[in-house]
Amino acid sequence: MPRQKENGKGIPDELELARDILDQQVVDREETKMGRVDGLVLELREGRPPRIDHIEMGAVVLARRLSPRLERWVDGWRRRFGVRKVARYKAPWSDVQELTSYHLKLDVGALDTPTFDWERWLRDHVIQHIPRPLKGNGEEGEKKE
Amino acid sequence: MKKAATLALGILTSVGGFFDVGNLATAAQAGGVFRLQLLWPLLLGTLLVIFLVEMSGRFAAVTRQALPDAIRTHLGFATWLVPFLVLSLVHFLVLGAEIGGICFALHLVTGLPTPVWALPVAALVWLFLWRASFSAIENSTSLLGLLTLAFVVAAWQHRPPTGQILAGMLPTLPHHDPARYWFIAVSLLGAVISPYMFYFYSSGAVEDKWDDSYIGVNRGVSVIGMGFGSLISVGAIVVAAVVLAPRGIQVDDYHQAALMLTTAFPFWGFVLFAASMAIACLGAATEVALSMAYATAQTYGWNWGEDLDPREDARFCLMYTGAILGSALLILFGVDPLKLTLLTMAVNAAVLPFVAIPFLLLMNDRKLLKEHRNGWISNTVTLVVVVLSIVLAIVSIPLLIQGGS
Repeated sequence: MPRQKENGKGIPDELELARDILDQQVVDREETKMGRVDGLVLELREGRPPRIDHIEMGAVVLARRLSPRLERWVDGWRRRFGVRKVARYKAPWSDVQELTSYHLKLDVGALDTPTFDWERWLRDHVIQHIPRPLKGNGEEGEKKE
Repeated sequence: MKKAATLALGILTSVGGFFDVGNLATAAQAGGVFRLQLLWPLLLGTLLVIFLVEMSGRFAAVTRQALPDAIRTHLGFATWLVPFLVLSLVHFLVLGAEIGGICFALHLVTGLPTPVWALPVAALVWLFLWRASFSAIENSTSLLGLLTLAFVVAAWQHRPPTGQILAGMLPTLPHHDPARYWFIAVSLLGAVISPYMFYFYSSGAVEDKWDDSYIGVNRGVSVIGMGFGSLISVGAIVVAAVVLAPRGIQVDDYHQAALMLTTAFPFWGFVLFAASMAIACLGAATEVALSMAYATAQTYGWNWGEDLDPREDARFCLMYTGAILGSALLILFGVDPLKLTLLTMAVNAAVLPFVAIPFLLLMNDRKLLKEHRNGWISNTVTLVVVVLSIVLAIVSIPLLIQGGS
């Protein structure tokens, strides 16, 4: 397992890629859950250890891990019916703010990324038309109004 | 002080939440056909489920992760995909059985056919999840669920023979209908160790923001809550054995089970049965629907939480909406709720390896749980569950064909 030394950010010194990073919950800077690390892209460097270039998120990335044919199929569906404009959301490793045993925090806002395309679409087209429930509109909801 | 209140509430809710359509159907059949001989699968199941629930709560308290979340994170997507799909399908059937239970209870009271109630009941369950917060749902349905203690009271009133109860707690070979005997035994186990409980319980612990300091509360809730909860199932078997078996009623239909409480409570028995069934199933239906949404949202990393405004977790909310609607269609199209329940409980037992094996791996992860990882007792019990569940998986499929009819 490749190990890598990191800077003073909230990232442990020793990491196991598949164990600690792949499939980890990704959250944005407000700690809103935005998806999982569906894929990892490494950069191979001449004479130096490889390093993580970016993480990838999206159903297509997941499908690829099972089989390339499934990937093409999922991507076909996405093109035809999907709400998401891009198949893969790529977050450069430099955006990673914190990595704990339960999440990987990116220095982004989930709503501004393609990972929330579906969430946003459903909210605007479906949830919006159903009367609001009583919960959740305490201190959290007030901020957003 | 807050911890003591949490403990008390937790115990009450797990007693009230223990009994559901699966426990009712399997207990009625077990008592009706084999009297007190099938108490042992219930006892065995309770012992195992206490350990498993304690582990899922401890895991969530220490790691702040619910089970589906942790399995995807630590065992990987490819490992989790098949169990996830299989368990989702099973939960869909369980939800159908619970919704069917509420519909049948309403049919008993109103006389209208069961399928007529499918959509109104689905709307009720959905509305409940849509509007209420996590603790409101858990506490209200579970506290109302204490009504199912009526089975314990009824069993007490019948003064069952203590010797036979003790004898039924030891496994014995059947005197007649061996296929049916083993089928009901497997279903009883499946009803007590329902896989959705572990998703629900661990996700609930995360929703309630448990941390290491809740390990004691968790132990108390699982041991005392589940232990006393199973008394209700024991009560139901005893009542079925005393009331139904001597009259030769084998419970091929929920209508026959509805007679269970009429001897102990001549006037109220019928209504009490319908009310217990409706409330127990309503509580379980909300839990199963939430478990499905929890598992899916956690698998894909979506935002989730029953206390959030649905605008903040649209996909999570639509997941339980779709699950409720889809399962209600089973009842709307006339699937018999009792047959569905018995089949589902046997399937529950058959898919237990998918629950137990990831459990064993995660609970021994030194890096995740540190000093709170499993000791040898918990590991031995989980290993027993793994082995037993694999045996059950192999045995229950032919039994489904032979004894299920």
